[in-house]
Amino acid sequence: MPTPAASTAGLSKSFGATRALDAVDFDVAPGEIHALVGENGAGKSTLVRILGGVHRPDGGTLRVDGQARRFASPHEAIAAGIVTIPQELRLVPSLSIAENLTLGMPPVRRVLGVPILDRAAMREAARTELAKLDFAPDPDTPLAQLRFAERQLVAIAKALRQRCRLLILDEPTAALETSEVERLFGVLARMREQGTAMIYVSHRLDEVVRLADRCTVLRDGRRVATWRRGEFGTPEIVQAMTGRTGLDVATNTVEPGAERLADAQARPDAVAVRANEVVGLAGLLGSGTDRVLRRLFGVGGTSASVRVDGVERRIASPAQAIRSGIGMVPGERRLGLVMGLSIADNILLASLSRLTRGGRIDTAAGKLLIADLMEALDIRPRNPALRVSALSGGNQQKVILAKWLAREVGVLLLDEPTQGVDVAAKAQIHQHLRVFAAKGGGVLVSSSDMAEIQRICDGVLALRQGRITARLERRDGLDDKRLNAAMGG
Amino acid sequence: MPSFLQGRHLAGQVPLAALVVLCIVMAVLTPRFLSPLNLSNILVQTSIMAVIAIGMTFVIIGGGFDLSVGSTVALAGCVAAMVMLKLGIVAGVIAGIAAGAAVGLVNGVIIAKLGVNPFITTLGTMVLIRGVAFLLTGGAPVGDGDLPAAFVSFGSERLLGVHYLVWVPAVLLVVLSWVMYATPYGRHIYATGGNKEAAYLSGVPVDRVIASTYVWCGALAGLAGVMLAARLQSGQPTAGEFYELTAIAAVVLGGASLHGGEGTLTKTIIGVFIMVVLGNGLNLLNVDSYWQRVAVGIVIVAAAAADRLRSRA
Repeated sequence: MPTPAASTAGLSKSFGATRALDAVDFDVAPGEIHALVGENGAGKSTLVRILGGVHRPDGGTLRVDGQARRFASPHEAIAAGIVTIPQELRLVPSLSIAENLTLGMPPVRRVLGVPILDRAAMREAARTELAKLDFAPDPDTPLAQLRFAERQLVAIAKALRQRCRLLILDEPTAALETSEVERLFGVLARMREQGTAMIYVSHRLDEVVRLADRCTVLRDGRRVATWRRGEFGTPEIVQAMTGRTGLDVATNTVEPGAERLADAQARPDAVAVRANEVVGLAGLLGSGTDRVLRRLFGVGGTSASVRVDGVERRIASPAQAIRSGIGMVPGERRLGLVMGLSIADNILLASLSRLTRGGRIDTAAGKLLIADLMEALDIRPRNPALRVSALSGGNQQKVILAKWLAREVGVLLLDEPTQGVDVAAKAQIHQHLRVFAAKGGGVLVSSSDMAEIQRICDGVLALRQGRITARLERRDGLDDKRLNAAMGG
Repeated sequence: MPSFLQGRHLAGQVPLAALVVLCIVMAVLTPRFLSPLNLSNILVQTSIMAVIAIGMTFVIIGGGFDLSVGSTVALAGCVAAMVMLKLGIVAGVIAGIAAGAAVGLVNGVIIAKLGVNPFITTLGTMVLIRGVAFLLTGGAPVGDGDLPAAFVSFGSERLLGVHYLVWVPAVLLVVLSWVMYATPYGRHIYATGGNKEAAYLSGVPVDRVIASTYVWCGALAGLAGVMLAARLQSGQPTAGEFYELTAIAAVVLGGASLHGGEGTLTKTIIGVFIMVVLGNGLNLLNVDSYWQRVAVGIVIVAAAAADRLRSRA
């Protein structure tokens, strides 16, 4: 067994009263992809941040190449060859590829003793590093013109240039489409051959099973399992993560009722949702599923002509959509929540005028409503005065749902509702969508997660380049083959 | 209750604690600080700035910024005095407040509807409005000695032992705090300042909310201009210089975030008191006025830095 690129022994870390990591042993070898999985709050981020020099451990040791280390800053970790690629890439959109790639350690030549940026060397460095990843853009292109997947490659190339020996990838595929995921996996496989150690943090368990040489599961700050390739599959991981088995959602048996929301005019992306029905919008990234939802919700100055419960309406703003009984859960949680406000304020945000009696908000009625919804949706911790920024991703998403349940909307539009949400919270959110539909609501949900579509939808609209190409029904089967054929993947 | 919540609770009381400490220090250093005359002076000095700062709090909680209030104070004072000389007190007061509200409406529409940066917009109107005030008056004070006696006495007399000038912010504080806390409109201001996009996607009319905060700010600056005219017994085009900076400093000292979505009117009033007590105390101690500026500047930067450290912890 070679010396691990990095290892921890008995690593512990607490934040206030919360024990985020509890005596965790973990190691990753050169040329190995070690997956790290667990629910939100299980301690993945804390472990990764200690390795990356963001946090200092309270106890235990961290070794890099066999040497005990204690990083005082992310800078020291990078100097030791540990580079993290976070979900939100730390790159500067207004600078060029070459400038981004060399940021922090730019090539310099001296003219009369004065350091001058060596632009030619900068471009050359960018070309060399990107070529290792099979990517050959013009190094002078502003980063803002690249797609997310390409920016991610720039971030990885930057790490390579920093002589990175341990690369930590945090949810690297969350914003990628299928072909881009394949390309990234190709890049990672090549880096593995070249001897780079990698820690792969992901909620997408199928990817973990496919990619990882080893997989470690954390739960409540403790390591509950480490398997080698071939010893584990998705069911084992889910059970280890949650400590439970069987998180399946009961799908609907109720027949769809009357039409709740439909486009009033013929158009290539016209949709229709009935009562008691969950309709999926499936498409590759860029196919326009998010645009359909934004159009129906009147976002961004568009004006949609729709039928809501049989009445024709024009929807030109979110306020009009909400008055028509439509709610939207946007793809990014920062668009759905005011992070600095409390759970209570966020839940009531869309319902304030309905709760107003004689000019003032009926706080008593509001409190009751909030308590009911927090109970029903199992929002934790059960403290309505808490800022939503303190909640986990899954609970934040439940707060957004609660906002629309408080408003008693009849139709819910959701864009990637469980992205970055842990397995247990995901199952709960799916269950709530089914319950919402069972009570007569209509649900239109866009997702790039095919397993999610297959699990909760009664019907699926496949979208390709802004056009709906097919409507598939659950009773005819929603297998991968039919979905992919319809989406053009 | 989780410990960090208690921490926040304590953190929220830092400005009040600072004010108390400041008062104790001043009282120890100079016995004159606690004399009834001086305390009454502090209240009167606080009153006009408090009215401006309340309006500024609306704007800052809504995620904006307003540099034009100092000029608006001058314009409103001059307009009020000019109208008052012709049409009487009530018309004059209304005209002054309306002039301020009009400035606010212009700011609000440009910022909310056209999406121009608030800093630049109000920097422009700050200069522009001051120019208009000079143009209207020809650069000379308006109504010096000719303003109605009842109006002038409003600037100096008392009701129930308290200056009329002090009653104004006191009433505003109670009424507008209630508006901020208990009405949908008030919560919409917090939500818009905290996250404009999320508020918009929740059906909040964010453009109207933002524009309205500038109208409040302008109208209250107008009211402050009228109060100042009563106290100076004339409308002065040079009045209110640097008031915008003092008002912004007071709001931030009170603990509001310049990123928006945070702050309360009560805390802003505490911030105003800190500014006034500091100036008043340094005066009593005969500190050189140049050094006073240095001290006030240090306090503002220190308060902002303390806030950063607190939110990072």
